[in-house]
Amino acid sequence: MTPRPTDASRRTPSQDGNAMDGFDAGAAWRRLLSGSWVGIVVATIVLFALSPAVAQGSLGSAPLLSMLPFAAVLAMAAAGQTLVVQQRGLDLSVPGMIALAAALCTCMVQSHGWPAWLAVTVAVLAPALVGLVNGVLVAVARVMPLVVTLGMNTVLLGTVLAISGGSPATAPGGLSRFSVDRTFGIPNTFVIAVVMLAVGGVIARRSAVGHRLTYIGVSVPTASALGIRVTLYQVAAYGFAGLAYGAAGVLLAGYTRTPGLFIGDSYVLPTVAAVVLGGTAMTGGLASIVASGVGALFLTQLGQLLRSLGWNDAQQLVAQAAVLAAVVLLRQAAPALRGAARRRRRRVLPTAG
Amino acid sequence: MTNFGSNRPETQVRPPRQGASPAPLQSHHAASQAAGHVASALSMRGIGKSFPGVRALDEVSFDVRPGEVHALVGENGAGKSTLMAVASGALAADVGTVLIGGVPLTQAQPEQARGLGLGIVRQHPALLPDLTVAENMALGVGYQRVGGLRRAAAWARETLAPWETEIDPRARVADLSMEKRFIIEIAKALALNPKVLILDEPTEHLDAEEVQRLFTKVRETVAAGAGVVYISHRIPEVKQIADRITVLRDGQTRGTFDCEAVTEEQIVERVVGRTLETVFPAKEPVPASAAGRLVVTGLSGHGFDDVSLTVRSGEIVGLAGVQGNGQAELVRALAGLVPASGEIVVDGQRVRGSNAAAANAGVVYVPADRHGEGVFLPLGVSENIVARTLAKVSRFGLVSDVRARSTAQEQIRGLAIRTPTPDTPISSLSGGNQQKAVMARTLLAAPKVLVVEEPTQGVDAGARVDLYKILRAAADDGAAVVVLSSDNVELEGLCHRVLIMSRGNVVEELTGAEITEAAIAHAALTSTSVRGQEKTRPAKRRRLHAWLAGDQAPAAVLALIVVLLGLGTGLHNGDYFGQLNLNNLLLMLAPLLLVGAAQQVVVLGAGFDLSVGPLMGFLVVIASYWIVDGGNLVLGLVLMALGALAVGVLNGVMVTWFRINPVVATLAVYMALQGIYLSLRDTPGGTIFPSVAAGIQARFGAVPLVTVIAVLLVLLLELALRRTRWGVELRALGSEPDAAERLGVRVRLIRFTSYVICSALVLPAGIVLMAQIGVGDGRPGLAYTLNSVTVVVLAGASIFGGRGSFIGIIAAALLAEQLVNVSPFLNLSPAWGYWLPGLITIGAAVLYAQLRRTRRTGAHA
Repeated sequence: MTPRPTDASRRTPSQDGNAMDGFDAGAAWRRLLSGSWVGIVVATIVLFALSPAVAQGSLGSAPLLSMLPFAAVLAMAAAGQTLVVQQRGLDLSVPGMIALAAALCTCMVQSHGWPAWLAVTVAVLAPALVGLVNGVLVAVARVMPLVVTLGMNTVLLGTVLAISGGSPATAPGGLSRFSVDRTFGIPNTFVIAVVMLAVGGVIARRSAVGHRLTYIGVSVPTASALGIRVTLYQVAAYGFAGLAYGAAGVLLAGYTRTPGLFIGDSYVLPTVAAVVLGGTAMTGGLASIVASGVGALFLTQLGQLLRSLGWNDAQQLVAQAAVLAAVVLLRQAAPALRGAARRRRRRVLPTAG
Repeated sequence: MTNFGSNRPETQVRPPRQGASPAPLQSHHAASQAAGHVASALSMRGIGKSFPGVRALDEVSFDVRPGEVHALVGENGAGKSTLMAVASGALAADVGTVLIGGVPLTQAQPEQARGLGLGIVRQHPALLPDLTVAENMALGVGYQRVGGLRRAAAWARETLAPWETEIDPRARVADLSMEKRFIIEIAKALALNPKVLILDEPTEHLDAEEVQRLFTKVRETVAAGAGVVYISHRIPEVKQIADRITVLRDGQTRGTFDCEAVTEEQIVERVVGRTLETVFPAKEPVPASAAGRLVVTGLSGHGFDDVSLTVRSGEIVGLAGVQGNGQAELVRALAGLVPASGEIVVDGQRVRGSNAAAANAGVVYVPADRHGEGVFLPLGVSENIVARTLAKVSRFGLVSDVRARSTAQEQIRGLAIRTPTPDTPISSLSGGNQQKAVMARTLLAAPKVLVVEEPTQGVDAGARVDLYKILRAAADDGAAVVVLSSDNVELEGLCHRVLIMSRGNVVEELTGAEITEAAIAHAALTSTSVRGQEKTRPAKRRRLHAWLAGDQAPAAVLALIVVLLGLGTGLHNGDYFGQLNLNNLLLMLAPLLLVGAAQQVVVLGAGFDLSVGPLMGFLVVIASYWIVDGGNLVLGLVLMALGALAVGVLNGVMVTWFRINPVVATLAVYMALQGIYLSLRDTPGGTIFPSVAAGIQARFGAVPLVTVIAVLLVLLLELALRRTRWGVELRALGSEPDAAERLGVRVRLIRFTSYVICSALVLPAGIVLMAQIGVGDGRPGLAYTLNSVTVVVLAGASIFGGRGSFIGIIAAALLAEQLVNVSPFLNLSPAWGYWLPGLITIGAAVLYAQLRRTRRTGAHA
């Protein structure tokens, strides 16, 4: 995320002359460990499969139904974070964005008498607008993303205080009913998250815009040389990220009915963890919104499981940190392990390469 | 064979290796034997070096006697730089021996070569931009020689004095022009009294007067008994300074000559002379009726000036010249990648100056830096091929994988790109196949204007032929093609016209039969136009700008704001100046100062530590178990210290040895610490021993003692940053880790210790916080993460590392604390308590970013 190439982020030079070396037994491992959705999908399936064994009844409908809305909110926020990380940034304004959306859709209705539909619309769009501002500051004014988003987070929290006058308000009845309701037995929040991630995933993977965002994340100079409007796309990425946070904040407000003013505070770390779990590298480029969503599901289920084992919220934080550190360490160690494996193979087959 | 010989019948143009030649010529063997009785300053025998697909050096022997200037001449890519990289230990040769002052170089290590007495001045100065001139010189030549950092500035002034340029030893290198940086580099190398000094293209950045001063210095050095290797393209200068000349061509020596015995012409003849071994497709004459597709009028920009040219449809125009004469910049301007004034017209339509506008007008650019700008390394071959023409492989607005694949397959087959599958990451292909993929992408875009830079650099012979065919085909399809190449054979084989550039201007145009390798080389090598002095901005504005971009300026500006804000608030509400408030303000300042300084240490080394806030909370919670009634004060403090140390070590190890992104690593630690202190104390508990708390908050008048201590500590850090080796090395690390490592900075150790020092500084901050809240609660610590960043940003540190001051930290912490402190006095709503620091952080970051940008462009203009 530092713009200057550090040891960690420097690209490995291409290995000229061993084009055929791409197919090896390690390829599967590499895909599993370094930057792809396979790893997190397998891990999530394993986690769900093990859940009943660890804590009985943890796959019952009640725990699942209470887990899915939170997974949905985290997945949406993680989708936004993915877009920012893809552009080699890191968004620390997630708490402020979520809190702003939550405050707008509750306080504006309760204290200022706005119609619910207007408040919800503004609540979703305002973070998008703030995201665009973040994008302009990063891409045009060339300020480090970390500083922009950290500062913006504080500004947003101040705004939340100003809007709410210091005390939380209750979400309009329609919104909270919708957020708590289920369609065909599935929580609405989860349906919305799935639809949003599916649409976002298709746009990111399939559309020209999505392809270009990947190109810019991989290499700004190459994208510029191709004639892509790099700045415009980067600003847009931050804007869409804001939109995702806005939607997440509104749903969270609806589900929790009376959201605390700083309800977003507990979301910055899990979004980063979900993105890393989903296989998106902090050095940008290849990213998967859907995989981040699966990562969010994994984290939320892990939390649920630990909670059923009697871990409190504080201990959960430690667990999340440990998962994040373990995944990053594993990813970092993957090339070394691969290298070792290749050396071993060379020794067995001295003619290789 | 070319028509080369018939052009100049009076000399034999392409002599065999030791061929008959009119010039008196000594074989290099004879030379080294003649010098046999004294140890050569530098002796290289039978050096061979291959890169994938290229034989860079083949049985090269090269010998420099003490007391001589030995020039090494050859075209771009002849192997000069490779040979010198081997001599300086930067590159290991496949075969051959290197002796420096008669002692063999046993390992390819720059330090060993330096230790044996080899000095090298590279074309691109290896200086750390954020350090001062004196610090750079001290790092480069060793602290002992300079007589310690304290004497560094005086030493630098003495060393630079003979150059008669006004270089302030305390100036930051980033603010200096290229020529001044070069002079520093040369002075640095000379100060080591090398046995052999290598100068790589030393006159590129110098004006005529400086060139003469350089020559004086070189002669002095030689007179003192050292040997000098002088690498240059500029034959007239070589004739002036060199005693002997060795010509290198295609990785082989083509003879060593006494300088006086050969003419300029004869040298040039030996420098060129590659056969057209590659098959070029026949040049189709451009129809006279063909319209000018690309018309450039009066184009000026950084590095080139007032260039006009017209390229017709189907025509291939070459750009030639010695590297660094504005060709590369011109080509980038055509692609809309760098700003330029003047007019670019494609098919009668004026192109506005942006990369997207150029692309829309049909200009396709193929860059020279294939890895950096040409391909998306981690992406698949097919993705790379269709990247520019996504619309053509889309259906219903979505990119179709099937179509992309089949389009790419077609190209892969058509251009014979060797790849296991279309989805193989392009990074695993050979250079030639990568370049073919880039050309495939280019052809798919059906370019109106094709701008190609170094189309065959690092490409094997087979792929070369294919690439030439592709370029020719593009021209035959009607594109106007501009080829920038340092390979004159290539230009001869491809181009209808060749423009030769020197110092930013087109100085000669060759057409038709005039285009020969020799003619291009001759024109490029003998142009001795001299670069004009830099245009300078009005002195007054420059000085203000320089001061504003300096390290200590933010401190002064911040102090002014603090005073004004204080006065304003005081006038509004007299209680502001009351002792109670001042005491409170200053007391709250102490932890902020310490934590800001802690963050500054890490940021100076281009790191980041988000865990400082929760660490403070964690330390407070530890204290609440031991520094309580009936506890043990000493044990408590020891445990707090151990806790801080452990966190510092953990952060340092993760970032330094596991190379984890510092933000991610410290974010994980942030969470973990938060979780730990919340598990220990879910609700506030454990009253800190009141007498300890009171002792820590003791004050002298309105001034709390801890604040005085914190200020002193920060001042001490400032002193250490400027005056100690640690400080210089920390800034060197933050400035450019790779260059710092080359200069012998222990990069890993410095990086690791920066995290440990950071956590160590959080310890006193935690102790003060403990006294202030008086109870075991970790949550108040959390906000200090943001606060520390706010302070660092306000203090004007480049968040990219390398520069910044601790004096600024004092002023910034004061301002940050004051901002929180004034809002109740001004009857501001609590929201302002958030808005002010947030907006000021962003505002300061934007301001400093702009200042730095203007400074950077200012220095290079």
